[in-house]
Amino acid sequence: MRVAIIGSGIAGISLAYFLARSGIDVVVFEKRYPLYGASGRSSGGITLQFDKPEFVDLAKESLKIYDRVQSEVGFNFLYRHDGYIKVARNREDLEKLEKEVRVAKTKGVKAKIIEPEDVKEFVPDFNPDAIEGASYSEGGVIFPWPVIWGFAKGCKEMGVEIKKMSEVSEIIIEKGFVKGVKVNGEVYKADYVVNAAGAWSNEVSSLAGVGLDNRIIKEEVCVSESLKPYLDPYILDVSTGVYLSQSVRGEIVGGILGSEVEKPETSSTFEFLTKYAKRASELIPKLKGLTILRQWAGVYDVAKDEIPVVGLTSVSGFIQFNGLGKFGMCIAPALAKELAILIIRGENRKIEKFSPLRLKIHH
Amino acid sequence: MKSRKIVCRCEDITEEEIIHAIEEGYDDIESLKRYTGATTGACQGKGCLMHILRILSQKTGKSPEEIGITTQRPPVNPVPFYVLAEGEKE
Ligand SMILES: Cc1cc2nc3c(=O)[nH]c(=O)nc-3n(C[C@H](O)[C@H](O)[C@H](O)COP(=O)(O)OP(=O)(O)OC[C@H]3O[C@@H](n4cnc5c(N)ncnc54)[C@H](O)[C@@H]3O)c2cc1C
Ligand code: FES
Repeated sequence: MRVAIIGSGIAGISLAYFLARSGIDVVVFEKRYPLYGASGRSSGGITLQFDKPEFVDLAKESLKIYDRVQSEVGFNFLYRHDGYIKVARNREDLEKLEKEVRVAKTKGVKAKIIEPEDVKEFVPDFNPDAIEGASYSEGGVIFPWPVIWGFAKGCKEMGVEIKKMSEVSEIIIEKGFVKGVKVNGEVYKADYVVNAAGAWSNEVSSLAGVGLDNRIIKEEVCVSESLKPYLDPYILDVSTGVYLSQSVRGEIVGGILGSEVEKPETSSTFEFLTKYAKRASELIPKLKGLTILRQWAGVYDVAKDEIPVVGLTSVSGFIQFNGLGKFGMCIAPALAKELAILIIRGENRKIEKFSPLRLKIHH
Repeated sequence: MKSRKIVCRCEDITEEEIIHAIEEGYDDIESLKRYTGATTGACQGKGCLMHILRILSQKTGKSPEEIGITTQRPPVNPVPFYVLAEGEKE
């Protein structure tokens, strides 16, 4: 059995890893380089607190996988588990956090609602007047680059070929069965082709004649000069989408949750910088003197129902691993592990609810 | 003592380290600069990008044009938060 994976973001590379570990022959095609997609541009926030119980399960399992894989491949993912704080600016958003905390608790995750004043226990310079309330849960920050490199290293050691600058331009299908892909004019045979193309997922599905109508989200981020260790937990303001955390290099990495765009593009805007700086310095007034060094943007995809799209399609051998959305780094490895089982056994009840067939898109 | 040929002064990276990374498979400019940290220091690559491109070109046999210049990420001149925060009134 031979599997061709399109895309070497967290979805593609972690799936390649699990398949290769079961002895499957895998090749990964990446149109640019492994950090080109959303995974390489992500801010690496890891939370176990979601409103959907199935996300909590996936995030718990993914965290275990990160922990295990970094020792298996001998690569430090630089995971800092100093917690994940969500703050709300109004009553309505705080109620959402209360619901998430209830869900988290039923799943055995450590999570609690805290008063605005209590945020100062974790972040001494926090301004409690900027919020209505907050939640604190297990989680933290992971550095996405070593994550991708580490999985890639493990893949290569198991004989997986990761082909950079290799855009899949055609998916070859005969009588409803996948036969392979065409890349830079060359044909590669495969029994399974996996769409792990992130924001480009709609395009790749259409190469297989399969409908997928995911939304494309662009998210902007920026990074400041380095400071001494200062900000331990990851902070997300759910009311404005503004988030920030400190990287292992000491930089403050911050962004604003993305919004929908027509097609994948990664231009940076000044408007983002001003909006981010304004809210970030309301939350932590001391940041005012800080300098922003670089900014960038990334794109990811999400299904209309905001549930990942993972599994078999109407074309035999064509598989989707898409729609990871704004918390893709938190949930992808666990989905990859289950998808590998689905590909090997032909079925896996555990990820039935993510089946692409639920979307019923007609073309 | 072995001579250390520094190619990126801001991040203190030697030619040897760059070559090692290329040999490990970080052999395109975007991966190389992220893996080694070269070009990401205070001068944002003004002092080292050309050296890195030369080494990469020698090791991979690709021309500097094929390798390409890495994307300059704005703002090129650092901007403080307070300037930005005051830039927009609600
Ligand atoms: C700015 C930003 C911040 C984020 N912060 C967080 C966070 O804090 N926590 C969190 O959990 N998630 C976060 N996310 C979301 C997370 O990064 C994504 O959900 C996740 O990375 C998606 O992974 P992926 O593998 O599906 O896609 P990608 O990482 O985008 O990978 C897809 C790859 O497919 C390649 N490709 C596309 N078409 C083709 C083709 N035809 N042939 C070959 N290759 C192709 C692309 O080049 C790309 O490398 C963030 C995202 C962004 C943009
Ligand atoms: S010399 Fe390399 S970043 Fe300045």
